[in-house]
Amino acid sequence: MKSETGFDHALYERFPTDKRPDSEVDALNEIWKAPTGWRRLTAVNNNYVGFWYVVTAFGFFLAAGILALGMRVQLAAPMQDFLGVDTYNQFFTMHGTVMMFLFAVPMVEAIGIMLLPQMLAARDLPFPRLSAFAFWAYFVGGTMFFMSLFVGLAPDGGWFMYPPLTSIAFSPDINTDFWLLGIGFIEISAIAGAIEIIVGVLRTRAPGMTLDKMPMFAWAMLVFAVMIVVAFPSVILCTMLLEIERAFNWPFFDATRGGDPMLWQHLFWFFGHPEVYIIFIPAAGLMSMMVSTVARTKLIGYRLNVLALVATGFISFGVWAHHMFTTDMPRVSAGYFSAASMAVSLPAGIQVFCWIATLASGTIKWTTPALFVVGSVVVFTMGGLTGVMVGMVPFDWQAHDTYFIVAHLHYVLIGGMVFPMFAAFYHWHGMTSSKALSERVGKWVFGLMFTGLHITFLPMHLTGLMGMPRRVYTYLPGRDLDLLNMISTIGAFVMAAGVLLFVIDCARRFRFTVHDDAGNLYNGGTLEWLPTGLYSTRSIPLVRSRDPLWDQPGLSQEVADGRYFLPNSATGQRETLITSPVMAEPQYVQLMPGPSAWPVSAAVFTAGFFLSLTVQAYPFAIFCGIVAVLSTLRWLWETDRPIKQETAEIGGGIEVPIAITGSSSHGWWALNTLMVVIGMIGFMGVFAYLYLYGINPEVWSAPPPLGQTVLILTMEGLAFVAAWGGRRLLATKEGRLAEDLPWMMEALAVGLLAGALYFDITGWLETGLAPTMNGMGATVFMLMVLQAQVVTVAIIMAAYLAFREARGIMTTPTNVTMDVVARFIGFCALQGLVFTAVTRFFPGG
Amino acid sequence: MVSSDRGKAIVATVLALGASSVVSGCKDPVQTRYEPSDAAKSRGLVAIEKTGCGSCHEIPGVEWPRGRLGPSLAGFDDVGLIAGKLPNRPGLLAAFIRNAPAIKPGSTMPPMPVTDAEAQDVASYLYGLDSD
Amino acid sequence: MIEAVWGWPPPVLDPAGPYSAQVTTLSWALFALGVFVTGVVVVALWVAIKGPPNWKANLGGERAIWIGGVAFPGVVLTALLIWGLTLTASLTEPIRGDEMRIRVTGEMWWFRVEYLDPDGAVMMVDANEIHIPVDTPVVLELESADVIHSFWVPHLSGKKDMIPGRRTLLRIEADRAGEFGGVCAEYCGGQHALMGFIAVVHEPAAWQSWLADRMDTLANAAEPVAQESQRYPGDADLYPTEAEYLERYDARRGYDLFMETGCAACHRIAGSEANGLAGPDLTHIASRRSLGAGILPNHRGTLIGWIGDSQSIKPGNRMPSYDRLSAEDLGHIAAFLELQK
Repeated sequence: MKSETGFDHALYERFPTDKRPDSEVDALNEIWKAPTGWRRLTAVNNNYVGFWYVVTAFGFFLAAGILALGMRVQLAAPMQDFLGVDTYNQFFTMHGTVMMFLFAVPMVEAIGIMLLPQMLAARDLPFPRLSAFAFWAYFVGGTMFFMSLFVGLAPDGGWFMYPPLTSIAFSPDINTDFWLLGIGFIEISAIAGAIEIIVGVLRTRAPGMTLDKMPMFAWAMLVFAVMIVVAFPSVILCTMLLEIERAFNWPFFDATRGGDPMLWQHLFWFFGHPEVYIIFIPAAGLMSMMVSTVARTKLIGYRLNVLALVATGFISFGVWAHHMFTTDMPRVSAGYFSAASMAVSLPAGIQVFCWIATLASGTIKWTTPALFVVGSVVVFTMGGLTGVMVGMVPFDWQAHDTYFIVAHLHYVLIGGMVFPMFAAFYHWHGMTSSKALSERVGKWVFGLMFTGLHITFLPMHLTGLMGMPRRVYTYLPGRDLDLLNMISTIGAFVMAAGVLLFVIDCARRFRFTVHDDAGNLYNGGTLEWLPTGLYSTRSIPLVRSRDPLWDQPGLSQEVADGRYFLPNSATGQRETLITSPVMAEPQYVQLMPGPSAWPVSAAVFTAGFFLSLTVQAYPFAIFCGIVAVLSTLRWLWETDRPIKQETAEIGGGIEVPIAITGSSSHGWWALNTLMVVIGMIGFMGVFAYLYLYGINPEVWSAPPPLGQTVLILTMEGLAFVAAWGGRRLLATKEGRLAEDLPWMMEALAVGLLAGALYFDITGWLETGLAPTMNGMGATVFMLMVLQAQVVTVAIIMAAYLAFREARGIMTTPTNVTMDVVARFIGFCALQGLVFTAVTRFFPGG
Repeated sequence: MVSSDRGKAIVATVLALGASSVVSGCKDPVQTRYEPSDAAKSRGLVAIEKTGCGSCHEIPGVEWPRGRLGPSLAGFDDVGLIAGKLPNRPGLLAAFIRNAPAIKPGSTMPPMPVTDAEAQDVASYLYGLDSD
Repeated sequence: MIEAVWGWPPPVLDPAGPYSAQVTTLSWALFALGVFVTGVVVVALWVAIKGPPNWKANLGGERAIWIGGVAFPGVVLTALLIWGLTLTASLTEPIRGDEMRIRVTGEMWWFRVEYLDPDGAVMMVDANEIHIPVDTPVVLELESADVIHSFWVPHLSGKKDMIPGRRTLLRIEADRAGEFGGVCAEYCGGQHALMGFIAVVHEPAAWQSWLADRMDTLANAAEPVAQESQRYPGDADLYPTEAEYLERYDARRGYDLFMETGCAACHRIAGSEANGLAGPDLTHIASRRSLGAGILPNHRGTLIGWIGDSQSIKPGNRMPSYDRLSAEDLGHIAAFLELQK
């Protein structure tokens, strides 16, 4: 086999090596020991953070479920007054928002953080403090967001918040701002988690675990994370636009001033539809793994399944407008989006038949996960079929925004995500609980949920065809809707009884542990079932097949005896093995940061910052913002330090470097991912500009003079050169101190960018354009706002770089911090060039 | 324009009924208390909802609308007088529902678009709302 | 409660015109397909789990995935897509331009209805009711005055959104007379749930006379308070004598109150000085079938209830409760409004 990195595959023959001394295990335990008492909250290890994450997300599932019960009581009979109209509207908005943003996405991300390191046999995810930050931002922000319900200030515009209903004219109170706030946190934590997962899956797999041998869940999480990176920028932008329109009266969505409410729908659904698959794909990955375990045989059609996941992710970006068939789309567009919506059901069909074929090739054992897995296939298929129906444009014109859709989406999401999640709870809880949950109770949980689901949602198809629109707090009597709604309400309580039973069983039997867990209850064959401690596995195994535990019966013992990679701590610090992205060949040892309060502080004060903005406590917002930035810098401070030891032995006599820089480093991958995110936000901003021009060209006015434009473009070009130059300069200092010149080059670059931005803004103001004037002003200045955001970050980065240099911790000839700063500033310069060129040359004078 | 004969007839009925109630005391003896059938009561509720009586009255069993312009009709069988003026009897109530101004001059309540049978049913429903 | 416009059978499957009938056919085909495929998957699961070994062996390989997951859906979906696209094309045939036009504007939370003459000028304004003749294509110009709404009469056609800053067109046609319920289908805040209307389909002759009546009202609209006898609308059998009532309540007094208490600031009555445009046009209020946007029957009782206490009936709607008016004054206003046909 050809090597990817020059690593000699013959070296793999040295494993398993001889048994290693047990004292190394004690050392590992000591290094990975979690803080105790209150300081436990500063833990960053995935066993803790992942578990907290899962529990919090499940808490939001319960909370949103209770809201649903309230709604069902209100709708049990016509014209009831159980919840008033205002409360009901808040309930359904919160139910949708919380389920989508505070439960589904965080839950799959949480399961990823919890399971991935063990599945890949990494010691932890590559950026544990980032995981901790993502969790705490989510926990604090999500909780505060939910609390708004108790003071009657919860958002009430529906989970997709269409303006102008959510604009300041029709929603003058801060309810909508709470929504934007809550979503802001999820955006932050989802992006952070996605970066973590992309780098984790691609770079921290056990040696030998080529892409082709990755567990399906890892594949799913990879697709999931890439989709987040591409889709979330769109919602980040549109929440920014709406908040700016509300706070500063910039008319992005105001049709009377050259904005367009449809801009929101395009931006939101460009995120919103992939969002559904963002939720479904990881669950499908879990399904594939569990199907194989419950059928006690290998997954049939592994490659087809991978292909299906990737195809789903890809096609899902081409279907967003099928939520907009009733907005009077041109026939051609409707046809295209209808075709794409049909096409996206093909990969789903492939997956369903992969699972059926796997079940057929094995022999099922009727455990609780098996029940949920089989139930999920049925429910998901039914939801998929109604999905095909509403993908047909003429049918959608009738079914759109009725209870038919409510039924459809619940079948899809419950079958596609909630049932797999419950299956996964049962399947994997042995990893974190010292006692097993009851199988007998589990079957009741399944039975109640499965029947409750159908009693609730099956009649809703008919309710919709009877003409009941969704999002109504009540309905008039005498329309033959009473009985159908009563049945749905009864079903909702049956389903809730199933969930309640699960919670009770958890309270009775679930006991969190990281050491003496109940183990592999259902006999899974992948690496997460190796014996583990907080450091994950004692040694990192060499992977030779997709189900190593089934194929190599002695593997667990060999791993525990330290007969594979990195059987000890090579540097005396937390570390993991970084491998190459395709073939997973060992490349270097990454040092990992340990517990820290700073990510927690950064998250709490970020939350404080946004919350203060929402309630318009601006001075306190500034205070929180500063503390959040300082906390972040402080947390980073301890990373990227000069180290004496340059290489480490990772077992079998193989020596690899420690903490490298450049394009093979995990930091490079993370930064690139982040730049894709920011670039996508910018791209969406440019889309908004061009879109409004397409809709309302009459409000477009002439750009500032050409000479000024050339000056600005030149400054941005020079900034790019300077940023690059600083890094080159550092490279010439090999073996010497870094001195001031490199960071000053970066500072110069930042200065040029700030200057260019200043000229850009004033230039436009001089033409008489103002952001509040019309759609053109709003989008032009919005691009400046986006640029100002990245330039501000660049300024902080340059200052941080200077500070590090002054404290003498800048390594030469290369330095990760320098790499990150230079590349980021270079990116800012390119973005500035694009923004300036687009706004000033298109459509031009 | 006005069918005054009919109006007089109604007034006469009212007076007769009123007189008899004076004779027999304010509250009916138990054995003669009005016991509407369940079928009449449920027809009455349908008529109430169809007519929209709730626009002005709060009526037990009618979730919506629950207007506050007119008096609440809860516990109607315990109310001494219809509209504070007329003896409380089912037949009279039905007549009142159909044409309140004719029975109680000056009533705010307008004539209701219900048939005589429907008015009887509505009265049955209102009397069926036992509070005891 | 408005009768007879909603209810069993499901309106989507009970078409009253060509634009919904074709979708009904498609719907039944889709439901049949849905049931069939669900059946296939359930049977496949049963075979996979409990089936005879040779069946299981056949199912347990990649071939099953290619057949069940790729070939079968590929063929079915392609066929469906062709049907769907063809149907979409035929339902969105370009509008000829000579159809009768009605402009419907969604407002929070009711529908403004304007009948346009062939030149596109507004000839008559109404609210929450759309009257069309049978077997005649009608083009609706859908607009919004505030937020996004959606116009939906499931018996007649699919829905179409009403979007601020845009005018969307929807063609409807009915092939039988009757009254059909309509609703706003896009969540538009507070009272979205109680934002309905009625589509009334007349036989052509009846429609002509209906229109003639309306135009007649407008032509004689100079004096909104008629002098002659004031008859209660509707069936004589339903209303016994109204002598007392009519002696007591005075339409002219009602007109004065209408102008004085602020009604006229939001409501327009053609020919009078009431010119408000914020609320529904009341020129023809007495001949409407409903009050409060398709939610209450329209008669003197509900009219008084609505004016006096609309906030109890439809909480949060844009009309304040006029509970400061005396019962007598409400009666006067109702007596006046009953004359606006």
